Amino acid sequence: MKQFLKLTKAMFLMHVRNRTTLFWNMVFPIFLLVIYRVAFGDGQVGAVSYMDWVVPGVVVFNILAFGLLGSGTMMVEMREKGVLRRLHASPVAALPLVGSYLLVNVLIALVQCVLVLGFAVVVFGMHLTAAGVLRALPMIIVGIVTFVALGQVVSGVAPSTGMAIAVGQILNFSQMFITDMIMPIDAMPAWIQDAAPYLPAYAVAQLVRPPLLEGTFAPNLGSHLLVTAVYALGAALLAAGLFRWSPKR
Amino acid sequence: MKSMKGKDQMEEMVIRIEGLSAVYGRGARQVRALQEASLAIRRGEIFGLLGPNGAGKTTLLSCVEGIHTPAAGGVWIDGIDVRRYPRVAQRKLGIQLQQTALLDDLTVAELVEVYAALYEVYLDRAAALALLARFELQDKTRSLARRLSGGQKQRLALALAVANDPEIILLDEPTAALDPRARRAVWEIIRRLHQEGRTLVITTHSMEEAEALCGRVAIIDAGRIVACDTPARLIAALDAAPVLRTQFDIPLEQVESLPGVRMVRYSGEYLEIETTRPQETLAGLQQAAVQQGRSIADIMLRQPNLEDVFLRLTGKTLAAWKES
Repeated sequence: MKQFLKLTKAMFLMHVRNRTTLFWNMVFPIFLLVIYRVAFGDGQVGAVSYMDWVVPGVVVFNILAFGLLGSGTMMVEMREKGVLRRLHASPVAALPLVGSYLLVNVLIALVQCVLVLGFAVVVFGMHLTAAGVLRALPMIIVGIVTFVALGQVVSGVAPSTGMAIAVGQILNFSQMFITDMIMPIDAMPAWIQDAAPYLPAYAVAQLVRPPLLEGTFAPNLGSHLLVTAVYALGAALLAAGLFRWSPKR
Repeated sequence: MKSMKGKDQMEEMVIRIEGLSAVYGRGARQVRALQEASLAIRRGEIFGLLGPNGAGKTTLLSCVEGIHTPAAGGVWIDGIDVRRYPRVAQRKLGIQLQQTALLDDLTVAELVEVYAALYEVYLDRAAALALLARFELQDKTRSLARRLSGGQKQRLALALAVANDPEIILLDEPTAALDPRARRAVWEIIRRLHQEGRTLVITTHSMEEAEALCGRVAIIDAGRIVACDTPARLIAALDAAPVLRTQFDIPLEQVESLPGVRMVRYSGEYLEIETTRPQETLAGLQQAAVQQGRSIADIMLRQPNLEDVFLRLTGKTLAAWKES
């Protein structure tokens, strides 16, 4: 336990002292919200204003980007620098290592969500209920774990940090507009509407939005959770198989 | 702190390497990094692995550290099979990898605590400070690792290697890329760790370093251990004569005919003349220079060293190595 706490503290400090990560994790999400406000501030999506509708979407988009880009890239960087090799040479077990990495990732991503929601409430006057936030929290955590697992698949495949960023960006942006996060799915062509429910970002967006907007769990909770679980488990298994301590030579 | 071991224990084998072979990659792209290497490292010695880049030194250490699985053979640390019980074996080791792999957004003091914790050794601030003071890093405890100089980073790497108070310390090129002063400082640290009764294994491609530090050395070339003994005995076994070293430019045939000359070769920009009668050879060289109306600007007489051993065993000179 003591070892786990020491490792967690170290990984947490590594994250918060890295200015690039800090910018993308903490400043960029707010920037994104402001842009949407300026661009689409007066729109409506069904019965709610676009601004209210998009805030949960930005929350999901940010944890998606964090998982695919932040979490995955950091692992590749540690591998490239030889940090993983050094850890491998020590008698530390896999569980505290993976556990502390995951815990820090979840914590950082949660702070990011609090920032986005806090900004939306204070600056844009978004209305949130305690019950809604409590219901959204487990869904957000499920989303973070799924996206971090996907990010670790990327880090397992990518030979370098540059490649990890490229692959992460492709997966990130390809889902950005077609998964009901930023743009309503109704505005998409029929075939995208048919395919989107099988994408992880769509499933997580459906899980997170209803509690934040209406304080209730999502309709079709089970099916969205199932899609998410399939991605999370599949990605975790794949990531474990692809994991390597040293760069390929 | 470890106490000095008795003489009997000093002779005890602490690392046993038997028939160790290692490969990288698969199929047609497979590289044989190590071929049937066997070594026995004694408790309390400084053992040097000497060889050019790519000779297999790091691969050998990686097998000892349990991070590379050998294709054949094995490593035993204090009788523990590294392949079967890597984590038990790893607990006995202090490690500094070639690439100074630090979580460099952490401070020096934080790093010491984390690296000790990897071995389930928990240092409080005072213990961490005491450790850092031994490596002259007491003023840097709050600095981020990324802001340290090369020499400071290397001293930190050594402090991290002993954070778990190990009996056996493996250092992969501990002085590579350091300036002479920083290099001396690292040598002092290595000697001190040795005096504390620890066993050290260091890799180097510096002959000077191996001669200065190591009780015994193994010479590695192209994945094979070609010799293993004390530097003095390796040199004595050469039965080599002193060497005259000069930049004076003169045809090899002319030098070969001088009295006492056994062998002539170029080593980098130097001409090296192995001779049993250095004074007479020198006189002959002087005479040749006068005849050509030139003068010899520099000349040095040196005793045979590990460089000559390497040359004899592998047919390669130090200069050729550095390029390879």
